[in-house]
Amino acid sequence: MGQITESFLEAFILILSLDTELFEILYLSFEITIVAVIISSIIGIPIGTILACTRFYFRKAIISIFFSLMGLPPVVVGLFVYLIFSRSGTLGWLGLLYSPTVMIIAQVIIITPIICCLTFQTIESLYLKYREFFLSFHIGKVKAIRAYIFDSRFELVTVILAGFGRSISEVGAIIIVGGNIDHLTRVMTTAIALETSKGNLSLAMGLGIILLLIAVFVNATMIFIKNKFLNPSDQGL
Amino acid sequence: MFKENPSINIRDISYSIDGKYLLNKTRLKISGNGITVVLGANGAGKTIFLKLLSGLLKAGNGEIKTGSKDFSFRNSAMVSQEPIILRRSVMSNILFVLNKVQPHQKIMASELIDTLGLSGKNNQSALTLSAGEKQRLSLARALITQPRILLLDEPTANIEPTSTIYIEKVLAKKSSSGTKIFFVTHDINQAKRLANDIIYVENGKVLEYTNSSVFFKKPITVNAQKYISGIISDAQTNN
Repeated sequence: MGQITESFLEAFILILSLDTELFEILYLSFEITIVAVIISSIIGIPIGTILACTRFYFRKAIISIFFSLMGLPPVVVGLFVYLIFSRSGTLGWLGLLYSPTVMIIAQVIIITPIICCLTFQTIESLYLKYREFFLSFHIGKVKAIRAYIFDSRFELVTVILAGFGRSISEVGAIIIVGGNIDHLTRVMTTAIALETSKGNLSLAMGLGIILLLIAVFVNATMIFIKNKFLNPSDQGL
Repeated sequence: MFKENPSINIRDISYSIDGKYLLNKTRLKISGNGITVVLGANGAGKTIFLKLLSGLLKAGNGEIKTGSKDFSFRNSAMVSQEPIILRRSVMSNILFVLNKVQPHQKIMASELIDTLGLSGKNNQSALTLSAGEKQRLSLARALITQPRILLLDEPTANIEPTSTIYIEKVLAKKSSSGTKIFFVTHDINQAKRLANDIIYVENGKVLEYTNSSVFFKKPITVNAQKYISGIISDAQTNN
């Protein structure tokens, strides 16, 4: 019990003293996560939207594949990306292994299906609600799609936040492809794993507190958006 | 100003799902002017009839002809019982259905907002309106497109009397200026107030199409007589 309290105190001192090492790790974590979330949103939101408001052959099969990909084990993704980017792998010549870039690639593979599927669910509920109205007023496809996205803007923010939450807490894949190299690929989650194994509990705890605060902040923001802007009766939820 | 429209010819349209006819071999020649009220119990086929007219549903066979390119169902607008309200302001909801918004259309939208008793709510989020106000907004949105034919599926069901009065007033005015109106309702008194002619539907078949005063005075079919006097219930007609 004493050790936990001591670690907590040391962790708070580290945070309050703006410890360089801690903030370097924090900066890289945010950089990788934000870039990954942006790329995943650029890929996932349009795919989810198209799957929700168009009808074509194999659509259901593609939806099933994306939903299955939501449950991809991160370590398997890490291993897969490692094999591709390792020296003997297909893209080994790029020399990206153990770099933030490859960590972003792994993150994108993990969170794109999540953003895509959540977007699909959000847009589809609006599509089913608006479809007949749009047809009766001869609203074109492009205008309709723009309306679906605009009218689900608050839900899409929560979708992106869900992707952010998943991405920032990721450890399995990025420790494999990033290698947890100090000052280069060390992020919050990999640092916590390493510092705990080394017995440096204060840094691990400091990072853990920050990670926890981020998770709380993201969830609180999602709940705030839902309560403030989304009326359940208007969403058909 | 009153415009004389050509009549609407419905030739043997049918609509079925899994072999069950929801509307069967309907043949009618409907006046191109005035308000045609469609009466019938729940599940009789009134909404199917309206959706077939609007083109939202495609008839299995038969055809609907309006006799003029200008006066066609391509130039129609529909208002449903449950208004679909977009998550934006009242004004944006109305202007949404237009392809390119012209300045005079913005003025027209403001006038519609005032006419339908929504003054001062132009920039208010449409989701915050009451059920009746939402339905009035839905009607304003239909009217901004200046439809030649207006299709309304129980627009006043479950809304307060004030909204019903606003809607009825606007419909009467539109009808007198040449807009053909199809109006589905369960309210016999409302049908009496609004209708120029009546279509009575039962079990997917049009049993009667007559002048409103004739229909309410002396309906041809026994079933229509029973419906007016409230003897026919939804359960009876559905079975």
